[in-house]
Amino acid sequence: MSPHENRPREDGLPKDPQDMKLMIHAVVDGELDAAAALAVERRMAADPDLAAEHARLLALRGAVANVPRPTVSDDFLARIAAIAEVKGAEEAAQPTAAKAESSAQQQQQGKVVEMRPRASARRFNSFDWRQMAASIVLTAFLASGATQWLTTADNGSDSFAVAVANGHRRSLLAATPVDIVSSDRHTVKPWLDGRIGVSPAAPDMAKDGYALLGGRVEVIGDRPVPALVYRHHEHLITLVAAPRQNEAKSVPVADDLSAGGFLLVHWTDDAFSYWAISDAERPALDDFVARFRAAVIANPAAGSPG
Amino acid sequence: MLAARFAEVVLPHLGDALSLARWLTGNTVDAEDVVQEACLKAHAGIAGFAGGNPRAWLLTIVRNASYTWMARNRPRSVVAVGDLADLDDVSPPPDHDDDSPEAALIAKANSAAVEAAIARLPQAFRETLVLRDINGLSYREIAAMLGVPQGTVMSRLARARGLLMTELGGRHHEPA
Repeated sequence: MSPHENRPREDGLPKDPQDMKLMIHAVVDGELDAAAALAVERRMAADPDLAAEHARLLALRGAVANVPRPTVSDDFLARIAAIAEVKGAEEAAQPTAAKAESSAQQQQQGKVVEMRPRASARRFNSFDWRQMAASIVLTAFLASGATQWLTTADNGSDSFAVAVANGHRRSLLAATPVDIVSSDRHTVKPWLDGRIGVSPAAPDMAKDGYALLGGRVEVIGDRPVPALVYRHHEHLITLVAAPRQNEAKSVPVADDLSAGGFLLVHWTDDAFSYWAISDAERPALDDFVARFRAAVIANPAAGSPG
Repeated sequence: MLAARFAEVVLPHLGDALSLARWLTGNTVDAEDVVQEACLKAHAGIAGFAGGNPRAWLLTIVRNASYTWMARNRPRSVVAVGDLADLDDVSPPPDHDDDSPEAALIAKANSAAVEAAIARLPQAFRETLVLRDINGLSYREIAAMLGVPQGTVMSRLARARGLLMTELGGRHHEPA
């Protein structure tokens, strides 16, 4: 038996006070797993200095988040979008282009890729911009290969579905499918709240065979939206929960879709528009959705942090 | 198709790209030029984007473009990236040993004061803070981008935040 120190520390956290402060930063940044975060919270409860540091860091994060960001002007977005547009058109046109066409292309390129044009030249003709935007949308549309774009009426939700599918696919390729690893909704929800100010209910349904792995932030359209990640056997299920907007149509009954080779289920409740996506079998995904909806209805408190 | 991939990988992150370039170059107009240059490079290299976080990928290009741009346009203000070792070795900031009033002061600091305080940070600290707190990258992504150990990212971040908290918390008005 070795002699005990005054304060035995078996929580695996650093003994050095400066290193311990780094752990406070890490917990504020959502970089710790649930076990380590819990240990840090215990330390903070016992140590007013650490708790004060934590409070200052939260205050600072809020203050930094309020600093206005540069906006992406339509003009600038058009200039950048034109990079792909012009180059793509060039490549496509090169082999067969008539001389006149290619010189027109070059003229267009000179106009749109010019570095910081003079104020007078800088104004984009709005007709040009729409044309470019339309052709980019068209390119994305064709490239997505989803024939259902043609067959369904509600284009808004379909492009959203494609974005959800792309996000899911990227997450499968990434080193980790989640930004915050935790099976504990008390960790996942505040993390999402802290990042983007919104978080859906995040019930852990491990006993039903759907373990909560964590959460991440997806950017769909121009909006960051929370996503939860569940595991069912060897399959991952991404659940994107976009806050309902006024114009969004209500889908009280789950709607079966597919996008990008994945199965999708879409439904809404009062607060969120949900998209569940997975490479699991349809019955498993439907079962997940049914259980998730039941869990949220049974325990709406799971929707509040803490 | 490259155009679609560009639209998917690059366009959603232009706001972040502008933020980073703005904080590295110091002004918004230059930031647009830098981001445009970066996007040309991103377009040329998009076939090499192998998945992972597209924001981190784009921001890495934006960061390189920012330093290239500054070396060309403002040779005197560029801090050589190799000279940072001494910055990372300096001792940690003094302990903040009192509590809540300071947190309240920080929370109430107006945006202009926060911006000015960030602008005054040493380059290496500012860069790390912006990548984390404004661009939302993880420690691991920042470490990979800057080519430094994760521990260095953590200590730079702590130093940066320590300086901001000292300034915004009004401690410089108190007697030592």
